Amino acid sequence: MDSTQKISHLALDIGGTLIKLVYFSANGDYSEESRNGCSVVHGKLCFAKFETRKIDDCLEFIRFNILHHSGVQHPNGAAHDKLYVKATGGGAFKFADLFKEKLGILFDKEDEMHSLVGGVNFLLKTVPREAFTYLDGQKEFVEIDHNDLYPYLLVNIGSGVSMIKVDGDGKYERISGTSLGGGTFLGLGKLLTKCKSFDELLELSHHGNNRVIDMLVGDIYGGTDYSKIGLSSTAIASSFGKAISDGKELEDYQPEDVARSLLRMISNNIGQIAYLNALRFGLKRIFFGGFFIRGLEYTMDTISVAVHFWSRGEAKAMFLRHEGFLGALGAFTSYNNQSHNDLKSHHHTVQRAILNCSGDNFRHIPVTSNLNDSETIECSINLV
Amino acid sequence: MVWYIIPKATGGGAFKFADLFKEKLGILFDKEDEMCSLVGGVNFLLKTVPREAFTYLDGQKKFVEIDHNDLYPYLLVNIGSGVSMIKVDGDGKYERISGTSLGGGTFLGLGKLLTKCKSFDELLELSHHGNNRVIDMLVGDIYGGTDYSKIGLSSTAIASSFGKAISDGKELEDYQPEDVARSLLRMISNNIGQIAYLNALRFGLKRIFFGGFFIRGLEYTMDTISVAVHFWSRGEAKAMFLRHEGFLGALGAFTSYNDQSLNDLKPHHHTVQRAILNCSGHNLRHIPVTSNLNESETIECSINLV
Repeated sequence: MDSTQKISHLALDIGGTLIKLVYFSANGDYSEESRNGCSVVHGKLCFAKFETRKIDDCLEFIRFNILHHSGVQHPNGAAHDKLYVKATGGGAFKFADLFKEKLGILFDKEDEMHSLVGGVNFLLKTVPREAFTYLDGQKEFVEIDHNDLYPYLLVNIGSGVSMIKVDGDGKYERISGTSLGGGTFLGLGKLLTKCKSFDELLELSHHGNNRVIDMLVGDIYGGTDYSKIGLSSTAIASSFGKAISDGKELEDYQPEDVARSLLRMISNNIGQIAYLNALRFGLKRIFFGGFFIRGLEYTMDTISVAVHFWSRGEAKAMFLRHEGFLGALGAFTSYNNQSHNDLKSHHHTVQRAILNCSGDNFRHIPVTSNLNDSETIECSINLV
Repeated sequence: MVWYIIPKATGGGAFKFADLFKEKLGILFDKEDEMCSLVGGVNFLLKTVPREAFTYLDGQKKFVEIDHNDLYPYLLVNIGSGVSMIKVDGDGKYERISGTSLGGGTFLGLGKLLTKCKSFDELLELSHHGNNRVIDMLVGDIYGGTDYSKIGLSSTAIASSFGKAISDGKELEDYQPEDVARSLLRMISNNIGQIAYLNALRFGLKRIFFGGFFIRGLEYTMDTISVAVHFWSRGEAKAMFLRHEGFLGALGAFTSYNDQSLNDLKPHHHTVQRAILNCSGHNLRHIPVTSNLNESETIECSINLV
């Protein structure tokens, strides 16, 4: 590889709980000349994620799979050009020194909100069958009209939740958020059920019954609805409300039921705050990002009902296939900005992305494994 | 001949326990709608009892002078086991516009499971001594100590409630119950405050009255809710608390006796007139749930019998 081609073809989003990676994998060394004299490299956008608390795994992955192949020398070796890598999320600040020290990588920091929005806009405009609704047990892809994309509400459910009103390319405002997010679900879940991971907690919730611990309207009203205010007897009046008077200890409850009530509580709450903010700004479409949902139907159903029902059909909940990689993708597609003076005049534009879709099956991807080949995005990169 | 006493009763238990009261005490419930009673109770208190409502800002409790001609509209947020949010436009004119299932029951339910506490007051007492930064993931934890000032979040703002419990490598037993209780209280209070102000904004409501037995005069709770309301609404909305916060429904049911609701009721009816608040001064005391309001918390008044 030409030693002058120090291509940063990787972007990172380092959050409170997870590190998300997007990197470009070229199809061999083949590159072609395009019409305007640039070379175009064909390949795939690949995705990987790691737990932030196991950051060494991420460092090792980068060292072995990316730096090694691109021929970048180890800092302790011969002199070399610095490798600038786009990084977003809080960890772009928190771990900047660590990456510099261990891998010789300098972070070119991108704002978190900016990256999230950039990532969604990129996906919605470039990748077909990215967004879908989930209603009445049916998943349905949404055809995005590029001329009618804005405005929309982006709800990114990470450790915490950010809600961003998007009015155009690069035009956005973080209007709200909530601290009851994925981190709350997993944090409380670990304390209450001794589960070891997010996926284990989701698996538990699958088999649970929320009516064991949640206090329903019917429990207060003796079996009847409170129809006057539109609440059925099975509506939840108070999450975890039965734990007050049951005379049971934590150990007496099934972890499945605890997980189910927890998932319902967090999902419903996010859905409600999301629709209240959508109503506030007259937004009809709400896209949900982050690694909270993971294709789980109960979660998508809870959120969809909260949004559609309580907004009386005004607002619509939509989910994204690459939900957890919004920030990383946004950072990745920002490489065409000249952010460093000493960066050689290379820039990349991601063109003609073709999604190689694995069909209509949505697979829940466990956090320890990475999206496989069929989840990558075929694309080309212009080198100028 | 059997005489039945027919008291007013509201809340879900007016239905659920109607048979029990009839069987054990010979009492027949004259059921009043829960929302109607809550609203009736607040309106009665605000119009009749001086120094009922107060704000809590920057550590200062301040009674609010209620202008009877400028009472409506307002938002009532009743924090019971669950939460109801009611827009009140006039006497008997109201609409339940929202609610949340993350209420007092959630706080106590999760609190019992996580701390083995035995009561709401014990949980509140624990929270007094806790530090939420032990378990909550702050903005600074994610950003390496700095603020995220671009979006208005300081480094000490909570990014994710209970978020540190993911990666600490600790079990439940390794955490201080005080810290767990504190994080729980903050989480529930802040969430209610946020949903309350979002609904107030939605209908252009400037005043939010908080009822129910969740607050109990605890300054941390009032501060959290007040900040959530005042700060996030940019001063548009104001949070107010009530001295008789937990008795709104019962008071509303009580003051509804002037309705002729049963045909076989002798033509007695009661109106509550000239209520004078016998106030214990400016100290607001937190009343434990097992004891009752003492003499200084009662409301002197007169009843007309017709």
